[in-house]
Amino acid sequence: MGKSEDFCETLEKLTPGLRRYARALLAGGADEWADTLAQGAIQLALQETRPKETLPCETGEIRICLYAAFTHVAQRKLRGGAPSRLSLRHPVIIHGLADLPLEERETLLLVALEGFSYEEVARITGGDRSLVLMRLMRARAALTALDQRPAAPANAPHRSAGHLRVVK
Amino acid sequence: MGASEFVEESELHAFVDGELDPERQRQIADHLVRRPEDAALVEAWRRQNAALRGAFAQTAQEPLPVSLQATAPRANANPANASWTRSSGSGKATPRRPVRRLEDLRRSRRRYALVSSIMTLLAGVVVASVAILAFTGSASPPEEAERGAASTGFVARANVAYLTFAKDARPVEIGADRSGELAAWLAERAGFGTLPDLSREGLRFIGGRLVPGAAGAAGLLLYETPRGERVELYFERAEASAAPSDPLRAAPGLAAIEWRAAGMAFVLLGPLPAETMQAAAERAARAISGTAESPSR
Repeated sequence: MGKSEDFCETLEKLTPGLRRYARALLAGGADEWADTLAQGAIQLALQETRPKETLPCETGEIRICLYAAFTHVAQRKLRGGAPSRLSLRHPVIIHGLADLPLEERETLLLVALEGFSYEEVARITGGDRSLVLMRLMRARAALTALDQRPAAPANAPHRSAGHLRVVK
Repeated sequence: MGASEFVEESELHAFVDGELDPERQRQIADHLVRRPEDAALVEAWRRQNAALRGAFAQTAQEPLPVSLQATAPRANANPANASWTRSSGSGKATPRRPVRRLEDLRRSRRRYALVSSIMTLLAGVVVASVAILAFTGSASPPEEAERGAASTGFVARANVAYLTFAKDARPVEIGADRSGELAAWLAERAGFGTLPDLSREGLRFIGGRLVPGAAGAAGLLLYETPRGERVELYFERAEASAAPSDPLRAAPGLAAIEWRAAGMAFVLLGPLPAETMQAAAERAARAISGTAESPSR
């Protein structure tokens, strides 16, 4: 047995990635919100899969379940717009991301940041492959317009240790 | 190549995202050689992908906040979900359970975070007044406490602990030679028993001891540089230490870095340059989050 235990363990392993996606979806401007959304998604994933006799046991499948649950939670909670505290410290790409409609941001991040295939993104967001492609194309077109300026440094040094705080 | 003259934009996206079969992938690559404007598009998208990954790379490395660590266990502990854990007879489940309950307990306590932080502040006021009374009565004003404990935050307690023990002839109670014993002791009393290895930052582990925290036992680990400078890693349960709303202050000449992970509050404190301290803190944080993620937590 031990399948359910494995399922929980896999969820835990997937949590850091989900958290990254949540932050990115909120365009880096509301990290606490992102954590709340991720937490809601994990709970939903657990609730939804529990009654089923057959738990997905392959990590890839569990990951799709988890991100689908997240999409569900995010679409419900972010309908009225997300709080955002973007500043000039954030790279240009984040500002561009923040200006995209939620669906496009979602699609772009699932593909570019989380590395899902188009088919998987379609399952996660509840559309089909052509819708995924359309959203992806629109998102990239909008960001490319911004990209005429030199690209932002990929790893700005001030982000190197987000959670550590120097005591003065 | 017999590839079509015109390539749909959607195919260029599929090319960037590795969605094409190898044959088509190759054809598009050839096409890009002939069409620099398409190649520029592809290049721009790749740059975007890299920028996005770069901007959020750090998040996935950070230790998870307690709320996210505890989410899955809490759902298990719910009676309606009891079959989740009970049905599993795997050996892995056994060592996890007590720890998970502890996490549950912590979570429920977090609900009363406001109440408890007010309590902590009140307790701090009481302790401070008692201390003032005691100290005014005594002949020797403790210079160290005066320098360090400007506030009641856990950084201040770490500071006092440093000033008290780091320069002492017997700085630790259990030395590095009995680190197993030390780890077990600290885990039992202070709730955390990992001894991060900072030797790559030039910090040799000396040992550790139990020290008084805000609401119970806290832990103190000491490290030493080859030149004999000592660095302390102080930790206590995060719920005991209200978020440091007071200005954080390390004693003069000491650098301090604080963070929270695995339900604990940590401070790394020592007389080293900021970059060294930062590197050591990052290594310690990684070691700690590694423990938090490991199944035998």
